[in-house]
Amino acid sequence: MGGVVGGEARVRPDLSPAPLILAESTPGPGPSPSEARDADPAHPTPVRSAPPANAVTQSVSEQASTGRAWRLAPPEGASTYGPQVDALLERSHVFEAGLAAVMLAWLVLAVWRFRGARPVVAANGGTRRSRAWVVGLAVCVFIGVDGTLFLGSERYAREVLWNLDVPAKDSRTVRLEINAHQWSWEARYAGEDGRFGTPDDVVTWNDLRVPVGVPVWVQVVSTDVVHGFSLPAFRVKLDAIPGRVNQTWFQAAREGTFEVACYQHCGTSHYRMRGLLTVLSEADYARWLREAGRLATQAYDADDAAAHWGWEWRAP
Amino acid sequence: MRAGWVRALWTTDHKQVARQYLWGGFGFLLLGGLLALLIRWQWAWPGQPVPGLAWALPESRGALTPPAYTVLFTLHGLVMIFFAVTPLLFGALGHFVLPLAIGARGFAFPRLSAAGFWAYAVGGALVLASFAVRLGPASAGWTSYPPLATPAFTPGVGQTLMTVAILCVGVSAFSYGLNFVVTVVRCRAPGMTWGRMPLVVWGLFYGAVLNVLFVPVLAAATLLLLLDRVAGTQFFIAGAAAVGGGGDPIVYQHLFWLFGHPEVYILILPAWGMVGDFVAYFSRKPAHGYRLTAGAMGAVTAMSGLVYAHHLFTSGLSPVLGRAFMVLTLLISLPAEVMFLNWLMTLWRGSVRLTSPMLGALATMIVFGLGGITGLVLGAVATDVPLHGTMWVVGHFHLTMGAASFLAVFAGLYFWFPKMYGRALHEGLAKAHVLSSAVLFVGVFGGQLAAGYAGQLRRLYDPYQYTYLKPLLPLNQWTTACAFLLGASQLLFVGNLVWTLWRGRAAEPNPWNVGTLEWTCAASPPAPDNFATVPVVLRGPHVLSQPDVQQQLGRDWMGQAEVAPLGGTE
Ligand SMILES: [Cu+2]
Repeated sequence: MGGVVGGEARVRPDLSPAPLILAESTPGPGPSPSEARDADPAHPTPVRSAPPANAVTQSVSEQASTGRAWRLAPPEGASTYGPQVDALLERSHVFEAGLAAVMLAWLVLAVWRFRGARPVVAANGGTRRSRAWVVGLAVCVFIGVDGTLFLGSERYAREVLWNLDVPAKDSRTVRLEINAHQWSWEARYAGEDGRFGTPDDVVTWNDLRVPVGVPVWVQVVSTDVVHGFSLPAFRVKLDAIPGRVNQTWFQAAREGTFEVACYQHCGTSHYRMRGLLTVLSEADYARWLREAGRLATQAYDADDAAAHWGWEWRAP
Repeated sequence: MRAGWVRALWTTDHKQVARQYLWGGFGFLLLGGLLALLIRWQWAWPGQPVPGLAWALPESRGALTPPAYTVLFTLHGLVMIFFAVTPLLFGALGHFVLPLAIGARGFAFPRLSAAGFWAYAVGGALVLASFAVRLGPASAGWTSYPPLATPAFTPGVGQTLMTVAILCVGVSAFSYGLNFVVTVVRCRAPGMTWGRMPLVVWGLFYGAVLNVLFVPVLAAATLLLLLDRVAGTQFFIAGAAAVGGGGDPIVYQHLFWLFGHPEVYILILPAWGMVGDFVAYFSRKPAHGYRLTAGAMGAVTAMSGLVYAHHLFTSGLSPVLGRAFMVLTLLISLPAEVMFLNWLMTLWRGSVRLTSPMLGALATMIVFGLGGITGLVLGAVATDVPLHGTMWVVGHFHLTMGAASFLAVFAGLYFWFPKMYGRALHEGLAKAHVLSSAVLFVGVFGGQLAAGYAGQLRRLYDPYQYTYLKPLLPLNQWTTACAFLLGASQLLFVGNLVWTLWRGRAAEPNPWNVGTLEWTCAASPPAPDNFATVPVVLRGPHVLSQPDVQQQLGRDWMGQAEVAPLGGTE
């Protein structure tokens, strides 16, 4: 069921040092990246003024020349909910930088001021008062820094990260089954009938396509070793483990092309386990899925056992 | 002749065992460091031939290939953790100082010390041998996650040899852990109460407890993995990878991290102990909140096994577990803060002497502080997700386990070397080494933190395959430059060591003017049974700058077993 549609064929890694290739995936049917640029005024980008990220090669050269790397910043975001976690990270980094600065300043000041100073009588272990200060200060720092981090993290986890109610309750939600291999991402779409395991299932290799502004519900497995499914631009990360189905979800805030990366060491060509995720307008996505499903139905081969890895969608 | 050889190698004198561990540990430190430099080379100049490496990789004319690179980062991690840092901290410094510092004539089980070293040596030999086997050494990452670490995906003998080697160091670590615990509990000199032990003894004791508790967990995981490799079992093989396999790869991850997280504390607890002591010694002031610090270290020890699953936040952990481990992980930072503030309070209003061990201790404090702070965001679920598996994690744990542990090893060595070899190292060289190492450690691992925050995933042979990582090339080159300078600055240490052993001056009996038993009751180097007579301990380890002591003895310190002319200071 499901022919291979769009994208490149499965990566065949050679073991020689690879040349740097800018964009190795050629999109299949559907709008080319330049057509899909965020031209839709209905979807203003909530992310900081970012260059159109779908023009991958172009934005790369821009970034390289502006020296973006020297700014301590997470990868360019494209997710509706990503800014929340980015803000939390940034806030905690400010706290931590403050802590580090105070620690360093105290240390340097103490060493500078008391270097070779005349010894002062000190009670063994300090006084009850000085120890109370230490404990009190530690508790305050703990409550302030760890507390902020905990509350922010807990809120994000409750509202976004672990809240599968959002994709479950949204009728527009796109469901996606991903099977990780050494060394590529095989993705399965249910096709127009909405059911997995039927002849119109669309299967792609290293080529994910999702509509903008719609929850995308992903379930991942692995056929061989442990892989790590990650969408850096969407702050998504989840292990792909043989024998179990893991799930997560995200929602694209804007159109463009982004990268799918593997973050668990999965063998020699781990570094080439790269896919592309293209965010399309809802209409373009529907058009692509319809066409791809039609081609898949035509190419359907009931005897091709390797192609039958999809599972009946189950939400626990 | 032959018997003499065997006797010399099979020594049960803890000081000799310590020296053996010291040289073994430094040997593997050199190996692990060179592997690290090769990894750094690859990230700065991907695929470019490494000068001088053509003999090892003739087909690529010295350029690192992906298989060579996977070997590099796998071996670097394994060698550094199991064959360099732990053996240096526990094997060398721990074996040397623990019996002396508690007034024991040796370990409770002297032959176990020797057997432990030989288990380590066999493990080390297997690691070295694995370079010579077909398909090369281990390459499944230091964590050796199955199914990748099973023969279906890593068929080489090297991976099997490494699995056995880890079992060997497991035996070694368990044996000295057991030995340390029993020795501290049973063999303390009269009067050496728990409240009078130097903080470094506390650190070694807690670390040893963790070894006893959690190394068997590692051994279990490794043994099951070995069975999967050689006996055809399927403990960790599931799904399509197995022919009817009923195992589960995630079970290995839980077992591995149930050891792997406490291992972080195994490495850092002795370092904490040294910092606590050295800061007191060289501020000429009793350690602030001694009991509080020992208690905080105990609290961290007690909690260390309860936080492990924050390594698995992205493994599909259920929200209930995720929350529980987030809370526990954040909680463990509280005792660490208490301990840190105690160190800072000890410095305050002291009489600070910037000796080389003190510089080492201060540097350890700084890099450990930075490492600890950068770990907070990895303890919370939401912020862990974007940073998980990135160089941020690498920078964080290298600051705590790498930089902090190594600086503590050097601080400890600079401190005890006169006792160990009876010769004094060159202070100026030692200080230059500690300072340059600390600055460059922050440069290297700070660069890694920055790269990780910008999204660079760890373990990528060529990060620039990813478009979004291409702009990080200059940052990585800068970090690599720091790493090479760091490597070069270690020559200051090697030169110092060689020069001192060759023609260094004899050390004074108590160069640091401290009162602990090894300095006040034993010769330098100590006799085979340590003490002429077993000392009777009268007071704590940090009696410094007390006015009555000053008045009676004309110096600002007092031996732990010294009978004072007029009463004693507790
Ligand atoms: Cu992978």
